[in-house]
Amino acid sequence: MMHLRFIPAFLCVAFILPALAEPPKLPLPAKGKINFDTDIKPILDAHCVKCHGAEKQKGGLRLDNRKDALLGGNSGAVILDGKSAESRLIHAVAGTDPDAKMPPGDKELSPEQVGKLRAWIDQGADYGTSSTSSNAKPAKSSHWAFQPVKPMTAPVIRGPVRNPIDNFVWAPLEKQGIAPAVEADQATLIRRLHLDLIGLPPSPAEVDGFLADESPDSYEKLVDRLLASPHYGERWGRHWLDAARYADSDGYEKDTGRPFAWRYRDWVINALNAGMPFDQFTIEQLAGDLLPNASVEQKIATGFHRNTLTNKEGGVDQEEFRVAACVDRVSTTGKVWLGLTIGCAQCHDHKYDPLSQREFYQFFAFFNSDRELDINAPLPGDAQKVNAQAAKFETVTKKLQAAIAEAKAKKLPAAQIKKQEAALATHLKKAPAVSKAMTLAVGPTRPTHVMIRGDFLRKGVAVSPGTPGVLPALSGSSRLDLAKWLVSQENPLTSRVIVNWAWEKFFGRGLVSTPDDFGTQGDKPSHPELLDWLAHEFRGHWSLKKLHRTIVLSATYRQSSATRPEIMKRDPLNVLLARQSRFRLEAEIVRDNALTASGLLDRSIGGPSIRPPQPAGISELTYANSAKWVESTGPDRYKRGMYVWFQRTSPYPMLMTFDSPDSNVCTVRRERSNTPLQALTLLNDTVFVECAQALAKRVLTEKAEASDAAKVVYAMRLCVGRPITKAEQERLLELLDEFRTLAAEDDVAAAKLLGSHKPVGVPPAEAAAWVALARTLLNLDEFVTRE
Amino acid sequence: MHPLQELAAQSRRNFLATSANGVGLLALASMLQRDGRLVAADAANPLAPRPPHFAPKAKNCICIYLEGAPSQLDLFDPKPKLNELHGQKLPESFTKNVRFAFLQKETAKILGSNRTWKKHGQSGMELSDLLPHLGTIVDDVCFVRSMHTEAFNHHPGQLLMNTGSTMFGRPSMGSWLNYGLGSVAENLPGYVVLNAGRGTSGGTSNWGSGFLPSTFAGVLFRNQGEPVLNLNNPAGLSDAMQAKTIEAVKDLNGIRNAQIADPEVNSRVAAYELAYRMQTAAPELIDLAKEDKKTLDEYGLDRTEPEIKASRGGGKGQFRAFASNCLLARRLVERGVRFVSLFHASWDHHSNLDAELPHNCLMADQPVVALIKDLKRRGLLDSTLVLWLSEFGRTPLGENRGGSTNVTGRDHHLFCFTIWAAGGGIKGGQVLGKTDEFGWNIVEEPIHINDLHATILHLFGMDHLKLTYKFQGRDFRLTDVGGKVVPKMMA
Repeated sequence: MMHLRFIPAFLCVAFILPALAEPPKLPLPAKGKINFDTDIKPILDAHCVKCHGAEKQKGGLRLDNRKDALLGGNSGAVILDGKSAESRLIHAVAGTDPDAKMPPGDKELSPEQVGKLRAWIDQGADYGTSSTSSNAKPAKSSHWAFQPVKPMTAPVIRGPVRNPIDNFVWAPLEKQGIAPAVEADQATLIRRLHLDLIGLPPSPAEVDGFLADESPDSYEKLVDRLLASPHYGERWGRHWLDAARYADSDGYEKDTGRPFAWRYRDWVINALNAGMPFDQFTIEQLAGDLLPNASVEQKIATGFHRNTLTNKEGGVDQEEFRVAACVDRVSTTGKVWLGLTIGCAQCHDHKYDPLSQREFYQFFAFFNSDRELDINAPLPGDAQKVNAQAAKFETVTKKLQAAIAEAKAKKLPAAQIKKQEAALATHLKKAPAVSKAMTLAVGPTRPTHVMIRGDFLRKGVAVSPGTPGVLPALSGSSRLDLAKWLVSQENPLTSRVIVNWAWEKFFGRGLVSTPDDFGTQGDKPSHPELLDWLAHEFRGHWSLKKLHRTIVLSATYRQSSATRPEIMKRDPLNVLLARQSRFRLEAEIVRDNALTASGLLDRSIGGPSIRPPQPAGISELTYANSAKWVESTGPDRYKRGMYVWFQRTSPYPMLMTFDSPDSNVCTVRRERSNTPLQALTLLNDTVFVECAQALAKRVLTEKAEASDAAKVVYAMRLCVGRPITKAEQERLLELLDEFRTLAAEDDVAAAKLLGSHKPVGVPPAEAAAWVALARTLLNLDEFVTRE
Repeated sequence: MHPLQELAAQSRRNFLATSANGVGLLALASMLQRDGRLVAADAANPLAPRPPHFAPKAKNCICIYLEGAPSQLDLFDPKPKLNELHGQKLPESFTKNVRFAFLQKETAKILGSNRTWKKHGQSGMELSDLLPHLGTIVDDVCFVRSMHTEAFNHHPGQLLMNTGSTMFGRPSMGSWLNYGLGSVAENLPGYVVLNAGRGTSGGTSNWGSGFLPSTFAGVLFRNQGEPVLNLNNPAGLSDAMQAKTIEAVKDLNGIRNAQIADPEVNSRVAAYELAYRMQTAAPELIDLAKEDKKTLDEYGLDRTEPEIKASRGGGKGQFRAFASNCLLARRLVERGVRFVSLFHASWDHHSNLDAELPHNCLMADQPVVALIKDLKRRGLLDSTLVLWLSEFGRTPLGENRGGSTNVTGRDHHLFCFTIWAAGGGIKGGQVLGKTDEFGWNIVEEPIHINDLHATILHLFGMDHLKLTYKFQGRDFRLTDVGGKVVPKMMA
C-alpha cells in the first residue's frame, strides 16, 4: 500500500544517469531511413507493448501510438524527439540506465535493434498510421463490483415473508433445507432495536409499554419512534465518525488539541437526525464550500477532510505532511464511498485492482489545491458574549498602549518597555472572538504530478483531475464535480458500499464481509441480488432512515440470535443469515449502557468534548506530557461515550480497551476483541464503579419497600431489559447473601464502597452488598452484548 | 404461534433428525484462522501457544527503546576525523540533495566529539567513556553500526522502528510475535510495556496492535502503585467479594449460555478468570521485596541521582524508575511474558549534548548491563533477545538551528546509526557494518529496519514472509514490503 521511501544518500549516487555526452556503451544509430512498420513495429510488438500497450500501461507508459509514447510514463518523457542519446527509452533498452533495464528478465535487444530505435527517434519517431491511440483505455473489468447496479426482483419462495429482504435471504436457505431461526422474543427485540438505532437501552417502562401494545403495528411504531429520536443521529453519527477518522487532536507528537473539531461532529449528528439525503450528505462534506452561497453549516461539513493528521513536530517539512494529508483524503474518499483501496496505488499501479498509479494522482488532483481554513462559525450567544467583553478588552488595550507610550516618553530602560510590549501582545491574543470551525477551501491552483514511488520529492508526469477509468466517466474537475459523481446514478459502487456498511452494523457482518474492499481481493457478496436490490432502492431515495427502516422491519433482522448446533457447524460465521448475530457492543455504547442502567446518563446532545475520569498516568504518556486531562465536573462527565475527548497519542483507555479505532486512519468496520483488560475495566474503572454505586442506590430507592427478590428482578431489568429467569434469580439472591455477610465484616470498607451515592436510610453494609451485586450485573456478558 | 415461527420450528425438527452434533467456532478464531496462525483448538483463546515455522532460538524479547535518538558518534561509532576537522564545513557532495530537520546546511560545521574511547573485550569494540558497564559485556553483544532508515521525524521514525512502517495503524513487533506464537504466560499478558522518562513522541501507537485485535496490544504496566490500569478492586471491596463476583459472573453467564450457546461467552469467562489471576500476579510481579540487596544494587535502584537542570531525560526519579523497569523486565521474562518493551524518553539532543547524554547514559548503562548479566546467570540469556533501539542517529554536523552559532548538539541523521542486540541466538562479540570517516554514510553492510525485523522474527522461528495478516485485501507483514534476514547477526 502507501509507502514512502527515501533513497539513502549512499544509494543515490548509483541512480544518477550517465552524463549527457554520448556514452561509449550506446550502440550507434542505424544508417538510412527508418520505416516504422518494417523496422520498429516488430521490435515494439515483440518486446514492449505487452506491458506498455493497450492492455497494460506499466509505469504509466504506452508505446503503441505516437501520442501516448511521446507523453511518457509516470516518471516523465522517455522519448525526446530527435535526441535518441538523451531518451530514457534508449538507455533502458541498451542497459545503460541502472534504474530501468528493459525488457525485464533475461531478454535483451541486440545492438542492431537499439541502433534502429535510435535512428527512428532521431528521425522524429514516426508511427506511420498508429499516430494516435486506437482505444482510449482498456478500462474494462468483469469484476462484479464495477458492473452497473441493476433493479432486482425478489425471488419467489414458499415461506412467509415480511419484506423483500426475506425473499432474498430465505431463498438460498430453502434450497439448502435450512429453516430460519424463530423470531426473537419481544424484550430482546426492543433492546436490539434500541441499541442498533439509538445506542441506548430501553427503560423497563419502555419495555413494558412495548409488550403491552397489542396493535398489529406495534413494532413499526417502535421503529418509527426510534428513527425520530434525537439519539439516532448520535448512534449513526458515531459510526460515520469512524469513517471520518474524527478526533480532538492533531495526531503527531505534540498532538495539539483541536478545540473546535466538535463542530463537525455535531454537524454529522444534526444532518442524520434531520434525515439529510445521503447524496446531499456526501456533497456537503466533500464540497460544501463550493456550493453556491455556501452557508456556514455547509462549510463546517467540509470538516470531514480536516480530520487528517497534522505534524507540528520541530523540523518537519510542511510539504511532506501536506501531501500526506492529501493522500489520506484520497484514500479515505476511496474507502468510504467506493470501497476501494485506492491508497495502494500511491507508489505503484494497484497490484490487484484496475487502478494505475497515474489514476491515483488524477484523483489526488481533486484535493491538491485545497487549503485548510479555520472560519468564524458563531454559536448562538457568541455575538452577545463578544459584545459584552469588547468594551472591557478595549479598555485594557488602551491602558497598556498608554503605559507603553508613557514609558517611551519617559525613556525608561528598554528592557522594561519590551516587557510591557510583551504584555500587550499577550493581551491582544485574548481578543474576544466568536467560535471557529475547521474547514477545507480551495486555494491557488497547484499543479499535480505523479510522485515517483510515492515520494513527494520525486515529481513525475503532470496529471489533471480525473476518476479511475474503470468507473463511469466524470465531466468536470472540481471537488464538487467529484462529490456529485460519487452519488450519481451511474456510479456502481457508492450505493452498494453504503448499504453494505449499514448492513454490517445490523448483522455484525456485511453482505460483503470486507466492507473496506470491494476490489478483486475483497470477498464476494454472500447475497449479491439482495445487495443490488438494497443499493437500487437506496439510490432511488438516498434516505438512510428509510434504508434502516427496511432492514429492521425484515423477518431476517428479527430472528433470534441463539445458535443451533447443526447450523453452527455448517455456517459458523452466519453467512447464510439463518439467525441474527450476537455481538459485543462498541466501546462508547458499553459506557452509555452502564450510565443508562445506573440512571447517571446526561442525555444532552452535542457540544464541546468532555473529559470523564480516567486512570492516573495516561496523559503523562503524551509527548513531554503535553496533553493535560482536566476532568469534567458537573453533568458533563456523564455524557455519552461519543463525546469523550479523543487525544490521538493517549486515547481514553476505556475506549481503546473496547476496540475503538485509533482515529488515525479511516475505519468502516471495527474489530471486536475479548480481553482481560475489558474485564478489569468493567470491574474496577472509576466510571463503572460509580455506575454500580448509582445503580444500587437507584434500586434501593425506587424499590425501597420491595423484597430482595423483587429488587433483584428490577435490577436485572434495568441492565438487560428482559425478565429474569428463576435460576438467575436464585443465584443472585445467594450472591446477595454472600455479599451481605462479607460487607458486614467491615463497616468502614462498606461505607467506602458506596462512594458518593449513599442511599438514604439504608445501613452501609446493606447498601454495600447491593453495590457489589449491581457491579456483578454490569459485568455480565449479556450486559455488554447486543443479542 | 406466528406463521414464521411455526415454519421455522417445523423445518428445524426435520433438520435435527438428519444433522450431527457439533459446536461451531468463534467468529474471532475463524477470522484469525483464515490467516493461518490460529488452529481450531485456539477457538476459545486467541493467545494459546502456537508452534513457530521452524526451531526458534529466542522465546522472549526485551526491547529497550531510547526515544529521541542517542548520538552514535558519542557512544558507539568513533570518528577521529570529526575532531580533526571540527569547525570546518563538510564537502558539498555530502549534503547535496539531503534534507535536515533543523540544521542549516549552508553554514553547518563539523562537530567533533568530546568523548574518549576505549576498546573492549575480544571483539575490540570501541565504546565511549559514557558506557563503562557495557564495555564489560561486549563479547555477548552484536553491534550494528550500519542501520539506516528513511523516516525523518520522531513520530514516523518510532512507528517504523516499532511497527515496520511509518504509517499509522500497523501492529507493533510485540503484537506480531504474540499473534504468531501465542503466549505461555498464564497469569500475565503476553506483551508488557514499561515506561520511564517523559512521554514518547509516538505515544501508545508504539505498542498498539494496529489492525490486529486488541488482544495482541501491549499492556502498559507501571512500576509502582497500581501496576495495571484498573487492577485494584474499588475502595471497600474485599478480595473475598471479588472472588464471589468472578464466580457469580461465570455462573450467570453459564445460565444464559445454556440458552444461546455462543462460544464467545466461554471466551469472556476465560478473560475474567485471567483478569482475576492478574490481580494477584501483577502486584507480586512489581513487589521487589524478595529480590536481595545485591541484585537491587547491581541494577542500581538506589543510586544517587545527580542534579541536572535540563529536563529532557524526564526530570527527577528516572534513575530508579529505569532501573526498576530493567529488573521488572527480567521478572516478566521469568514469568513467561513473550515481549517486554522498555521505553525511556528522551535522547533527542539537539543541544546541550555534553551534559544531557552523560546524564542519560549514567542512568541507563548500569541497569541495562545488570539485566544482561542477570539473565545470563539465570540461564535465560540464550532464549531472551535483548535489543537496544532508537529511531535514527545524529549528524556529524553540529546543529545550528536558525543560524545559531552556539552549537552544542546534533540534528537527526537517517543514513547510519547504531543499534545493538544480545542473547536469544544473537552472535555476540562482533561489530557489523562500517560507516565512512565522517560517520555520514554506510560503506559496508547497510541494514534496514525491515531487515532487523526479519532477523528478529527469524530468531523466534518465524519466516517474516509467512507471518501475515490479511487486512483490506492485502497480506500485511511486520516487514512491510521489504526485509532480508541478516545471517551474520545470528549465532
